Amino acid sequence: MRRAVLVIGATVVGLVGVLSFHTTPAKLTLGSLSAGTASRPATTTTPASASPPTTGPPPPTPTTAPATQGTTTASPPTTAAPPTTATPTTTTTAPSSTRSATGPSVDYNFGLISVTATVSGTKLTNVSIASLDDGGSPRSQSIDQQSIPILEQQALQAQSGNIQGVSGASYTSSGFQQSLQAALSQLGFK
Amino acid sequence: MGTIVTIDVYVDAGMPVDRLAAHVGRARSALHRADDVFSTWKADSPMSRLRRGEATVGQMPPEVAVVLDACRAARVLSDGWFDPWALPGGVDPTGYVKGWAAERALDALRMPDVAAAVVNAAGDIASFGGPAPGAPFRFAVVDPFDRTRLACVVEHTGALATSGTYERGQHLFDPRSRRATLAVASATVTGPELGMADALATALAVGGQDVLERIDALDGFEALVIGHDGARRSTSGFPWAPESVPSTVDPAA
Repeated sequence: MRRAVLVIGATVVGLVGVLSFHTTPAKLTLGSLSAGTASRPATTTTPASASPPTTGPPPPTPTTAPATQGTTTASPPTTAAPPTTATPTTTTTAPSSTRSATGPSVDYNFGLISVTATVSGTKLTNVSIASLDDGGSPRSQSIDQQSIPILEQQALQAQSGNIQGVSGASYTSSGFQQSLQAALSQLGFK
Repeated sequence: MGTIVTIDVYVDAGMPVDRLAAHVGRARSALHRADDVFSTWKADSPMSRLRRGEATVGQMPPEVAVVLDACRAARVLSDGWFDPWALPGGVDPTGYVKGWAAERALDALRMPDVAAAVVNAAGDIASFGGPAPGAPFRFAVVDPFDRTRLACVVEHTGALATSGTYERGQHLFDPRSRRATLAVASATVTGPELGMADALATALAVGGQDVLERIDALDGFEALVIGHDGARRSTSGFPWAPESVPSTVDPAA
């Protein structure tokens, strides 16, 4: 089974499609972003107001059972984006202006998540989880790198045997959305 | 806003990546197309212009008429508990369109080299095939009282939609009381097509028992409601997974 994750109708990400394969090391092939009218800034700035993460009853730690269909392998982490929670980061590597930014840590219903977006030119080349704190030990993207933004689905699916999806979890990952939008804004994308 | 959609395709392990990407790309295009036409968040979408009275249905892309006709059918089937024309702000078929769009994406995957597929649009699910030959898909329904837990598991290939307390937006509008009220905590509908299942789940969430009985009489659709008190009621053919079948039978019988 191969899974693709899309974000439809989001103000910022527009036509982004995220294609990720469980059976290969994390490889994301993405369409072009609309760069809007903003020129690429030379530096990034901290988001003006990051909504503070809400606190509630500590959520249960979801099991990290791999998907039951086919063979899945956890890919080794490919980038060393620091697992910071609220501080955006920028990395500029070599000539093709590859830049990354991390959005603020936001409540995603099972805990807190912050998202890193990497662009190269006008192309979004990577979206990954910078930090994930679900009440268990805080961890970084290496665990869920290929499987964003279906964290709630994963956590729920793992609670029962051989489940291929969960219905009714529509309030999914708005935290992921918020953090991603903030990261993209920092990179100059509306 | 933004709807998270996951697309699972079951294909031969040897399928070339670019062929797989082409399949998924068509499904993705179908979703974006539906969003471009029907999104009420986009000021210039045909649906937005229709709502503002700036254009007529005849001036719309053809799928608008198709969707509105289907909404009329859903309104009749649900005895008016699903009524996109009763919503403030003008006709809003969102409660049908999300499922309809997922079906269009699923259709794009009906290829000879795709054995099965699941399109999960923020918890509304359309599928064909199964996870293994001869096996139906198994989907869970989230617990409306604790969204980190599952309420039950169903075995169903086709359409599965759930409406309830976790839903946002005015499409959970009770056309009779003219308020956004929920008769139940969670309303789940299974059936052959997700647009209708979506509309019926929306109707069931506001109409409760009335709609449950209507769905019970409807061929091909089944439903489950979880009341605010936690009580569960379902149609007689609801496709429970074996481990979820409610034990209401007297074991001595």
